Amino acid sequence: MRKIIKNPMSLAGLIIISIIGILAIFAGYLSPFDPNYININAILLSPDGTHWMGTDALGRDVFSRMLHGAQISLLVGIVAVGISTIIGIILGSVAGYYRGIADTIIMRLVDVMLSIPSFFLILAVIAFLTPSIWNIMIVIGLTSWMGVTRLVRAEFLSLKERDFVLAAQTLGASDFRIILTHLLPNSLGPIIVSTVLGVASAVLVESGLSFLGLGVQAPTASWGNILTDGKEYIQFAWWLSLFPGLAILITVLGYNLLGEGLRDNFDQNT
Amino acid sequence: MLNYLIKRILWMIPMLIGISLISFFIMHLAPGDITSNESAFNPKASEESRQKLRELYNLDKPIIVQYGLWLKRIVQLDFGSSFASHQRPVLWEKKDENGNIKPGLIQKALPITLLINLLTILLIFSISILLGTIAAIKKNKIPDRVITLFVFVGFAIPGFWLALILMYSLGVVNQVLPISGLHSIGYEQMSKLGQIFDLLKHLALPVFISCLSGLAGISLYVRNGMIEILNQDFIKTARAKGLYEKKVIFVHTLKNALLPLITILGLSIPGLIGGSVIAESIFAIPGMGKLFYDAVLMRDFPVVMGILTIGSILTLLGNLIADLAYAWADPRIRRGLAK
Repeated sequence: MRKIIKNPMSLAGLIIISIIGILAIFAGYLSPFDPNYININAILLSPDGTHWMGTDALGRDVFSRMLHGAQISLLVGIVAVGISTIIGIILGSVAGYYRGIADTIIMRLVDVMLSIPSFFLILAVIAFLTPSIWNIMIVIGLTSWMGVTRLVRAEFLSLKERDFVLAAQTLGASDFRIILTHLLPNSLGPIIVSTVLGVASAVLVESGLSFLGLGVQAPTASWGNILTDGKEYIQFAWWLSLFPGLAILITVLGYNLLGEGLRDNFDQNT
Repeated sequence: MLNYLIKRILWMIPMLIGISLISFFIMHLAPGDITSNESAFNPKASEESRQKLRELYNLDKPIIVQYGLWLKRIVQLDFGSSFASHQRPVLWEKKDENGNIKPGLIQKALPITLLINLLTILLIFSISILLGTIAAIKKNKIPDRVITLFVFVGFAIPGFWLALILMYSLGVVNQVLPISGLHSIGYEQMSKLGQIFDLLKHLALPVFISCLSGLAGISLYVRNGMIEILNQDFIKTARAKGLYEKKVIFVHTLKNALLPLITILGLSIPGLIGGSVIAESIFAIPGMGKLFYDAVLMRDFPVVMGILTIGSILTLLGNLIADLAYAWADPRIRRGLAK
């Protein structure tokens, strides 16, 4: 923790994502208006004291929608990365610890998945399913586990030869116990880095999907959605396009800075 | 080298089978079968077109047989015809009953996407090498910090958002650059040079947008590679010999740092192809990405499946070329293969 604060990059990242995280968690209390309340008398108002970020074409308060959008965008990003990290840890552990035929099959699967353009894969799945927030989380998660798998496997391969693992094996510890208490905790650094960087990518993918109209569906607010709704009005309502774009930019930047800063720290340790 | 080439090509066969399995699996994700109303298939589709779809994928047969028949068609590069775009063949041109040639959808779209991606890769690499080298020489000083921040912001900017802003400021307000399509009106009447210039003008924004997100990874890679090599003994020797710093940097260090970039290039292909969806649909460029997006919106399954497969094959080919280029460029590997 002390190291995170010492490195200016990870400190900046940590501050950014904490602020956005808090805003998202307390969106319900912080929003001055109901994010989906349509007010015909307040259409396309520019930002002022009442509507901090103006209103959209349906008279909805953009600031409230941005806060609720933060909730959705972060939720999608974090759950998607959670799914991919769990898959990656399981497959990577099996491949790296047991080697043999399981390793071959898993690594070939990784190669195959990596050779299908992932955005195409995501869009294709969404074409066959109906787009919903849960489907999007699952699809992003299921198409982005390959990096973690490779990483965990590589860590396990080098850790497995170390004396403390041999000692545990000699003492008769079960495979499961060795993986869970000896191998995984020692590979945590790179896993955390890839998780943090993964959230950044997932937030971008979600906003891209929502922008294409294949992501989170109206009326639920997500940053990508607000931007899509606003692009029709860019000539006379700049605030509809500016704020959601900036929010995505700052969030993704925050996660990237934290991730790269952490990577520097872990690299220095080894 | 020849052995390596043969081995490398044979290795693509299980990969292709894996890709076909995954594509096939995706098609069967839909609840019911893909022609039923529970799935996302267009509810307005006629019973006739549903029947056609069922025949195309043999949906009435057992699933193993379905896969076998589908694979057989894919091997012959037969992806069927589009449902939406006047039944045009998905991959390559075909003559219809009246003797008219119907051009293939992918046949028309692929060269455009390839051109955009080639330009993007060229731009990413030249800028990244420049930025990475500067950052490495000025390690931990202000230029390094500025460059790092710049490439991070470039990665974090949502491309579609920047595209929107640039379209509006450069295309609508100032009208410096065209904002949609590939050609201006009157393209046919232009001189050859004028046509190329017109095309480049149309490609400027999409290529710029596509390249921004790729800068971060590669320039950081160049930077870290350069720093690592600058610490090695042969560089100390070169400096001790009294070589000019320029020669040390550009000849000895850069050459070694650039080698692994060939592999990175191969790995970045799927991302670039996938990324073309957003850039092409915003700028209305009739490439693979826009074709795919439209097909997804129309639930035009033969086109979706066709592009998914062709896109993956392209990635495999890209990786193959990158691996061969690496083996050819690195004397250590070249010698190892010759033995």
